[in-house]
Amino acid sequence: MKTFTFYKPTELEGASKLLSGVGRGYLLAGGTDLMTEMKQGVIEPELLISASDIKDMSGIVWNDSGITIGSMVTLDEIASDTNIESRIKSLAEAAISIATPQIRNIATLGGNLCQRPRCWYYRNVRFNCLKKGGDKCFAIGGSNKYNAILGGGDSCYIVHPSDSATVLVALKAKVDIFRNFQRVTMPIRDFFIGPEVDVTRENILEPGDILISVQIPKESMGGKNVFLKAKERQSMDFAIASIAAMAKMENGLITEVGIAAGGVAPTPWHLTSTERKLIGYCVDDINVQAISAEAFADAKILGQNGYKLQLAQTYLERALNLVLR
Amino acid sequence: MVDQNAHPPSVGTSFQRVDLRDKVLGIAKYTADLSLPDMLHARVLRSPHPHANILSIDVQPALNMVGVHDILTPFNVGEGKVAPDVPILDTKVRFVGDEIAVVAAVNVYEADAAIDLIKVSYEVLPFSTNMDTSMKKGNPKIHTQGNVVNGGPIVEARGNVEEGFDQADYIVEDSFTTPGHHPASLEPRAALASWDGTRLTMWKPSRGIHADKAILASALDVNPNNITVIGPVMGGGYGSKDETRTSVLAALLSMRTGRPVKLELSREEEFLAGRRRHSTFTKIKMGVKKDGTVTAVHAKTVMDTGAYLSSGPGVVRRAGQGALYLYRCPNVKYEGQIVYTNTPTAGSYRALGAPQGHFALESLSDQVADKLSIDPLKFRLMNHVGPEGQPGERTTPKNQIIDTQPVEGGIPFSSNELRQCLILGADAIGWERRDQIQTPTGFIKRGIGMSMFIYRGGPGGQSKAKMSLDEDGFFTLNVGFMDVGEGSSTVVLQMAADTLGVLPQIVRLNSGNTDNTPQSPMTAGSTLTFSAGQAAVRAANQLAQIVIEAASEVIGLTDTEGLYITPEGVCSARGDEVNFTDLAKKSGLLKTTVSVTPGSRDYIVNSFGAHFAEIEVDIETGYVKVIKYVAAHDSGTIINPRMAESQVRGGISQMMGFTFLEDMEIDDLSGVTLNASFLEHKSPTIMEYPEIEVIFADSIDPVGPFGAKSLGETPCIAPAPTIANALYHATGVRLNHLPFTPDNVLTALRKLR
Amino acid sequence: MENNVTQVAFKINGKEHTLDIDNRFTLLDILRDKLNLTGAKKGCDLGECGACTVTLDGKAVNSCQILAVKIASSEIKTIEGLNQGNILHPLQISFIENDGGQCGYCTPGFIMGAYPLFESRRNVSVEEIRLALAGNLCRCNAYGAIIDSVVGAIGIKADG
Repeated sequence: MKTFTFYKPTELEGASKLLSGVGRGYLLAGGTDLMTEMKQGVIEPELLISASDIKDMSGIVWNDSGITIGSMVTLDEIASDTNIESRIKSLAEAAISIATPQIRNIATLGGNLCQRPRCWYYRNVRFNCLKKGGDKCFAIGGSNKYNAILGGGDSCYIVHPSDSATVLVALKAKVDIFRNFQRVTMPIRDFFIGPEVDVTRENILEPGDILISVQIPKESMGGKNVFLKAKERQSMDFAIASIAAMAKMENGLITEVGIAAGGVAPTPWHLTSTERKLIGYCVDDINVQAISAEAFADAKILGQNGYKLQLAQTYLERALNLVLR
Repeated sequence: MVDQNAHPPSVGTSFQRVDLRDKVLGIAKYTADLSLPDMLHARVLRSPHPHANILSIDVQPALNMVGVHDILTPFNVGEGKVAPDVPILDTKVRFVGDEIAVVAAVNVYEADAAIDLIKVSYEVLPFSTNMDTSMKKGNPKIHTQGNVVNGGPIVEARGNVEEGFDQADYIVEDSFTTPGHHPASLEPRAALASWDGTRLTMWKPSRGIHADKAILASALDVNPNNITVIGPVMGGGYGSKDETRTSVLAALLSMRTGRPVKLELSREEEFLAGRRRHSTFTKIKMGVKKDGTVTAVHAKTVMDTGAYLSSGPGVVRRAGQGALYLYRCPNVKYEGQIVYTNTPTAGSYRALGAPQGHFALESLSDQVADKLSIDPLKFRLMNHVGPEGQPGERTTPKNQIIDTQPVEGGIPFSSNELRQCLILGADAIGWERRDQIQTPTGFIKRGIGMSMFIYRGGPGGQSKAKMSLDEDGFFTLNVGFMDVGEGSSTVVLQMAADTLGVLPQIVRLNSGNTDNTPQSPMTAGSTLTFSAGQAAVRAANQLAQIVIEAASEVIGLTDTEGLYITPEGVCSARGDEVNFTDLAKKSGLLKTTVSVTPGSRDYIVNSFGAHFAEIEVDIETGYVKVIKYVAAHDSGTIINPRMAESQVRGGISQMMGFTFLEDMEIDDLSGVTLNASFLEHKSPTIMEYPEIEVIFADSIDPVGPFGAKSLGETPCIAPAPTIANALYHATGVRLNHLPFTPDNVLTALRKLR
Repeated sequence: MENNVTQVAFKINGKEHTLDIDNRFTLLDILRDKLNLTGAKKGCDLGECGACTVTLDGKAVNSCQILAVKIASSEIKTIEGLNQGNILHPLQISFIENDGGQCGYCTPGFIMGAYPLFESRRNVSVEEIRLALAGNLCRCNAYGAIIDSVVGAIGIKADG
């Protein structure tokens, strides 16, 4: 690890100035991803700016429009919040499926959303891949068992590693960002970007931007929502495929639906065409198996990751059966 | 002379593991926990190339750093060797991660910064990441002798396997692969070296301090009498620690700088520069008559040793033991070949080649049973090797100790309760309900599978022990072996205490320092309990005699008749007593030294067992759950039941990694190991731990100390084929390639859809 | 470069410490290299094995993932702070009685990983114990005995 200067600002403005100022500055939340990248030499921060003392980034607030969760709220706080458990179950399920108890005790929601990919070519300094500014993606023609089957676009085939991202996309969440000394709110599906937009990052944050909080609208609550995560081992593992699904029904008609897939693409994969086949339809008319089989028609198998298609389809079918029946 | 009625014996009871208290208090010291004043820290520059010649190294920019004290390169370490094919440092590098240079600096940050400044110029060579590529003609030699070790396979045979196949009504043949997974011991290896003039003291995790001392003496060209090796508590090794360059490099740096040097490997380095299991490709063929009799077995295994040979010869031999000896058969042949590749080195890992060999053999056995329409359990009951051994003629001379891994027939086993294991285990899993649990519809399928195994039973190299009665009235047993966490200290202590006739609480075990312990072989090949146990028993017997004689003098008797040892001291039939403390004070130090060459001239000493598993597989996700696991073991007398159970449960759980999760992933285009981390080399967590029932067969071995045979490695042999056979029963699909990750299971199952 | 060194003050096992440390130091580095509390182990230094587990304000954390500069007013407890001299903590007693450790390298981490559960509960299910310890690797795979040890410890607590 190279050395760095450490700051503990208490205001968003001060933090933002440090992040966009002289030197390579990184925001330090829980640190569970950042420190791994530092120890493995993938990044070399010159400044570390701790977010622990910044006002406005903590707390879980319920109000008339839904819930706002500060980006510094830990995954353990989310997983053990009884209100979240009863009203937004899939978020609690995602939180508790992440990493390990020790990590969840310090890892934050913001850190989980902004964490860098786990592609082993990206994480290993011996490979100067596209994402790091090099000129090739080593997963193509390489060991690509854990790489994307969608959205790679002949470019970069990482999968987005965040489970909370998958759930929040399905729940139609919004993110609040501190940018140019103002608060900006946007749908979370616009927060994440694929390699065709900018291969060197996974979200729209620019130097100086800070993710402040996440909002989930109350329209996404009150129905059923699930998060199903396929892993190779039952703890300490990232999703090899996952599905987050939310649905609300009235008199047998589907009035609200949100579906996203994780572990299959460089961003949480919003299944918009699948949603269109469900919303406004009568539940009894839905052929879950057929819809699931079509949902990933654009999938492109790299050679070793074909099983992800099978898993994504299977878990989509099971998730839909859980939220629609 | 030992009053057995005085107190119940310790052997057969679950005496508390002797070093556990320090471990739960957090005060047990492992190598990296140790520090010396003025200590320097070392870090290693590792090769970025899988195969290259080093043309030059410029260390000057690094040496110029204030905190850097010394740098070793292949050009300044001399000609010493750590192993026949491993120079201390070499001008050729053979895998990504191979050691090139080592820096000693005031702290790890300085050392790392220095590493970055070292400039190396390479002649990059073509390389091979798999055995096929290595074996192709014209491929560059990784070592001067060629990529196929010894130019070809070892061949072991009994009878005539071609004739055996001619006699067969059915011949079944298949091929299997196993992964080169890593033991991933929780403690990364480390070494702390310190010189006092010409005298070296080395602290390192070790399963053989005397063997390590010999390696250091040879590599450094130093008189072994000037070397002390101390083995602190070891944080897991499972056979794989430590015959790497680590300690030699630390010793050299310390010698040259005049300061103590600590070299601690990182987790990534432990994966790269440690020792993993040999990956294998096995072709195996079995011939049977219609009535189910086995007429021939022929197995060919090719194993990948990576960049260096390590213990390859022992491993490749062990991979054939099942094929040659588990099924009663007059005609068998095994060919085992070792191939170099430019990948991390393979070495010893719990049960050596036996898991690989048995995965192939026991999977094939089920296929043969299937072909015959005979129940797999029944097929094994019909054909397992019995106590009388294999048919054939003994070739080992009568007065010679018999190899624990023979090929010849005509020799009985000292004990063989494999049949009991098969029957008890089958009963415990409920084998008779096997067909009822299958589920023809739905995506959850259930199945029950089994396999059995044979393994060398314990006799190892010559073993010495010293035992004494000390002035404080305690007994000290001095042994040169190392407890590698499996509990041998405790077990040997129990045996010594019982032999003497005292409580184990008053027996101290002294091990771990070459200065005050006698020569001993490594804790390896499941020989420890047997070899050290026999030495300890003999030492205790001899000391008992010496103690009785000394007591006789102290009491003032003319002979030793009627004297016996009690937990407190020595008593006579007429009521005289002298306690151990007084006896020691009055007689001075009472001691004895023994040397034992364990083994038998009449019998093969082998351990046996049978494993059974009930599993559930989701055929749409490839996820397998182990519902219940039963392990029945014949290891003779079980000295310490609780610790023995811990070994069995631990070994099975460990091999759930081999079976379902673990492999070393090497990038073919660069030779880089992609998953050198605990996150990505996925070892089983507590969430994977299955319900395991352990059964120990009623068995007392006439040769083993207190009737005991080996146990430590045996639980690792059967899990993989047991699961493979259960999967076949559940799904009708054969999985021949480990590990059974969801993607491998789904790929195999697509045959069904 | 002075701004790469920070003075940190913290409390470990009830005792206050103030140290000047390199910003790169983790809590694990401080324990092992500055305070000679070597019970917490550097199994991987990346938070992937739990061998360095301690409690921070009562919560189990991987000490290798906590930068020392962030500790400030937190209360840290390590394995060495569990027993009082020869009076062992129920977790320690139970791990001995149930053979909960083989090589022992993971043992301090497991005990500290179980400690918050022990403190907060009168009884626990095996499933809850598994979930609480899902971040600790045991390569000897003594998981069965470890579960028994935690069950036993809570039993000792229940008995008073």
